Amino acid sequence: MSLQQAKLSHTNQAAPAALYPHWRSRVYAILGLLVLFGVIVAFATTVGSVQIPFLTTSSILLSKLPFVNMNPTWTSALETIILEIRLPRVILAGLVGAALAIAGATYQGLFRNPLADPYLIGVAQGAALGAVVGFVLPIDWQGLGLGTVPLFAFIGALLSVAVVYTVARVGKVMPVTTLILAGVALGAFLASIVSYLIITSGEKIHGIMFWLMGSFSLTQWSEVKFVLPYVVVGVGVLLIYARSLNVMQLGEEQAQQLGIDVEKLKLILLTAATLVTAAAVSFVGIIGFVGIIIPHAVRLIWGPDHRFLLPLSILVGAIFLILADIVARTILAPSEVPIGVITAFCGAPFFLYLLRRRTKVLF
Amino acid sequence: MIKLEMQNITLAYGHKVVVKDLTFQVMPGEMVGLVGPNGCGKSTIIKALSRVISPYSGRILLNGRDISQIPRKDLARLLGVVPQIALLPSAFTAFEIVLMGRNPHLGLFQYEDPRDMAITWRAMERTSSQHLAERRISELSGGEIQCVVIARALAQETQAILLDEPTANLDISRQIEILDLVKGLCRGNKLAVVAALHDLNLASHYCDRLLLINKGRIHAEGTPIEVINTENIEQVYGCGSYVHTHPLSGLPAVLPRVDSNRNSSLKKYR
Repeated sequence: MSLQQAKLSHTNQAAPAALYPHWRSRVYAILGLLVLFGVIVAFATTVGSVQIPFLTTSSILLSKLPFVNMNPTWTSALETIILEIRLPRVILAGLVGAALAIAGATYQGLFRNPLADPYLIGVAQGAALGAVVGFVLPIDWQGLGLGTVPLFAFIGALLSVAVVYTVARVGKVMPVTTLILAGVALGAFLASIVSYLIITSGEKIHGIMFWLMGSFSLTQWSEVKFVLPYVVVGVGVLLIYARSLNVMQLGEEQAQQLGIDVEKLKLILLTAATLVTAAAVSFVGIIGFVGIIIPHAVRLIWGPDHRFLLPLSILVGAIFLILADIVARTILAPSEVPIGVITAFCGAPFFLYLLRRRTKVLF
Repeated sequence: MIKLEMQNITLAYGHKVVVKDLTFQVMPGEMVGLVGPNGCGKSTIIKALSRVISPYSGRILLNGRDISQIPRKDLARLLGVVPQIALLPSAFTAFEIVLMGRNPHLGLFQYEDPRDMAITWRAMERTSSQHLAERRISELSGGEIQCVVIARALAQETQAILLDEPTANLDISRQIEILDLVKGLCRGNKLAVVAALHDLNLASHYCDRLLLINKGRIHAEGTPIEVINTENIEQVYGCGSYVHTHPLSGLPAVLPRVDSNRNSSLKKYR
């Protein structure tokens, strides 16, 4: 891997080390962001209505890590607040941020379109319709360990993408443009049904609106446990195919000539990104902005190589959404602001600043 | 060493037949040129040979094995392609693009090792593009991009190379440099080479054999001396020409005959 070795083994023909000047800085960035992520988690669990010092919070969190032995100097009530009330919310925010950011980066890379986001091919509208139906119907179904609303949202998201995929498929191939257009059309169709259901929903409208704009309130560990496996598996698959995604940037024809089975790759990446997104939105609602802007911000800072773009997007997305959630629950405390409001309000100016400062090509 | 064969190939886009019942083969160490007017099917043949489109009928064989049976990754280790107009993602550096040529040699869980880096660097050296290595694609000229794409095909380390207008954006010295390189690989490493070329003079001087294609069929086939003559050019291109023997190489060289009457159709616009 290192270019030093390259120099030794092929002295007269090795590529100069200067060719990969960004390798090291990108690896350091990943490590640095991991540390920052830990600090942010501790900070986020410190913030709340009950005043708990940062050191106590950190100690409680650290004591739960494997191989760490600590004598508790805190009350069990504090531990319950930190571990049972605040931590699941923080972890879920991190998971959802990571999921949306990597799904967005994948869709942008796969469609080679800077406007792509995780909701482009119908996930959001499908989830929204499912959730609204869950709110409106006078039933209480459970399944997959989920309540009615998240269960319906999850199924709605997957169903709508399945429909878009089936419509866009022509024989063995799936043209990307057709896929996007089918996604937009089906999305508009579903959104109209959602709108109709909302105005006829009566007093349930508040809950629906809150879900649609996204919220982490009342998060429990059971929700983290549901989302986690989808995100871990999906993210793992996407990371494995990061190099293939780089080659896809050459266009489908050249990618094929470089040994990529383009149709298979599209199917794998779409499935993984869709599952990750569907799991992320099913509990917390349609959180906008993260999936489209975080990958762009990462690309602006660290370049277009997906092998770094994807892991860096995960970390930046997680950190960003945890911070946004802190703002969402403190700014009007004790009531909450939908997190979708915060992500765009705080994130957009920062992104505009990045866009202005950098003159490099984006895509 | 690889032998490339097309047997009774018919190629079509939808119902529009572009290439009809084409049969030819390319031996290891042989450089075959596809020449013919715009839209005669040269690029389509290159696409079919690299399995981007599949033939309507007929078979394409690599060493006797039907390419539709070869997994894409294996195919990309055997056969490299230099596309006609390579649209490259502008934010990547030239080195990163050439490094993508190593993709077919890497498993899913593998990263490029020092050997891949060295092969990539060597490929850039051979195409005189190593000074471009750190530049982004958006900063390169058409000719420089052409060299990068050729370097990528070299980094692929294949046994056959297909080139679609490899010299289209290059100046005269680069044209010769690139074709010398391709010819050298063809001879030295016994590569089977198929090149679609517009420039009949370059085709005449570099190719062992030419296929003159007209409307999807082979109009003439053979050595440059057999194929390039005033009659064939008149029949296929519909224009007069003066074919003479290059004083140094003894190979046919073409000068178009600029006939003022042929421009008469343009006069009405004046």
